[in-house]
Amino acid sequence: MNSTNIWIIIIGVSIVSILPRILPVALLSRYEFPAPLKRWLSFVAPAVLSGLTALSVAAPDGFIDISINNSFIWDFIPTLLVAIKTRNFLYSLLPGIVTMALLYNFIF
Amino acid sequence: MPESKNGAPNGALTGRGYLLDNPLFLFYYFPANNISKLEMHMHKQELRQGINDSIPIVLGYLPLGFAFGVLANEAGMSTIQATMMSVLCFTGAGQYIALGIMQAGGAVFTIILANVLVNLRYLLFSTSLVPYLKGQVPTAIGSLLSYGLTDETYAVSMNRYQSHSPTASYIAGLNLSSHIGWIASTLLGAALGTYITNSDRLGLNFTLPAMFICLLVFMTKRKADVFVAISAAFLCLLIGYLVPSTMGNLFNIIIATIIAASLGMLINEQH
Repeated sequence: MNSTNIWIIIIGVSIVSILPRILPVALLSRYEFPAPLKRWLSFVAPAVLSGLTALSVAAPDGFIDISINNSFIWDFIPTLLVAIKTRNFLYSLLPGIVTMALLYNFIF
Repeated sequence: MPESKNGAPNGALTGRGYLLDNPLFLFYYFPANNISKLEMHMHKQELRQGINDSIPIVLGYLPLGFAFGVLANEAGMSTIQATMMSVLCFTGAGQYIALGIMQAGGAVFTIILANVLVNLRYLLFSTSLVPYLKGQVPTAIGSLLSYGLTDETYAVSMNRYQSHSPTASYIAGLNLSSHIGWIASTLLGAALGTYITNSDRLGLNFTLPAMFICLLVFMTKRKADVFVAISAAFLCLLIGYLVPSTMGNLFNIIIATIIAASLGMLINEQH
């Protein structure tokens, strides 16, 4: 692929990735959303986060891998427990990183 | 309007200095200065908070941006092109997909179309931010800063808005530092990629999943939220399993979110 095409890709991807982020804030901010829509939107964040969590844990390499060989699933359990117990981000980050480093360096 | 003894508004008709005649002058004058100082202080604090909250995101981006830089080089991009792509696009999944299609010999059009699909989810994210930003952050500034909206900055800022009003300074601190982290790690990866072979050993690649898990726990407060979260996770994986192409374009997140949020509405109305 030549350099011009690469630049076209960069500009094109830039436009299609920026527009969907900016347009709703730019165009919809002047309207007051109806209450049911607001309620529906309030569920978007938990749903999105849960989807992202599921994908990042169960498919860390882009394909679904629900097996004991997937070290991310092993990390998920202590991290979730610590997060629920402490409700503190830094504490929750530690077991995941430690488990990951241990699993990677000594088991997998 | 406070009035003087003769009924005229203070200072307005007496011919003497308005400010000194008005007993409220001290409150009008000095506190105004203090408020702007206070506001400055608040802006700085919000900016600092935003930067602080971006630290886990930046840590998580390091291996991802770095890997993108390395792979971009291998796919035929120069260091400048790889870095500029991270400056102008800031879409991790989209950038990886672009590399994948490039290496598979795909067309420019295919790459852009794939990115339309991958980035559609931001319509949903951005729309769900509107009720929070409305009246708090000027529309023009809010739109500009939405450039830095990613899965991660969305998750962190939504969590923040549960207890604090959004401010432009906070969003700037969070989004810009995250973006700078993404750009810097890409540059490092593209420039030094050939020297470092394995960053898995550092255990950093669990940073972002760990962050998602935490924010998910923090954000599920209502019973209906827990229900929505569990169904979204299940649906997301199920759709990804049944229609594997959605794993690539992340359409499974969009569909799972729409269904799960609608289920949440139903549950919420019943109780």
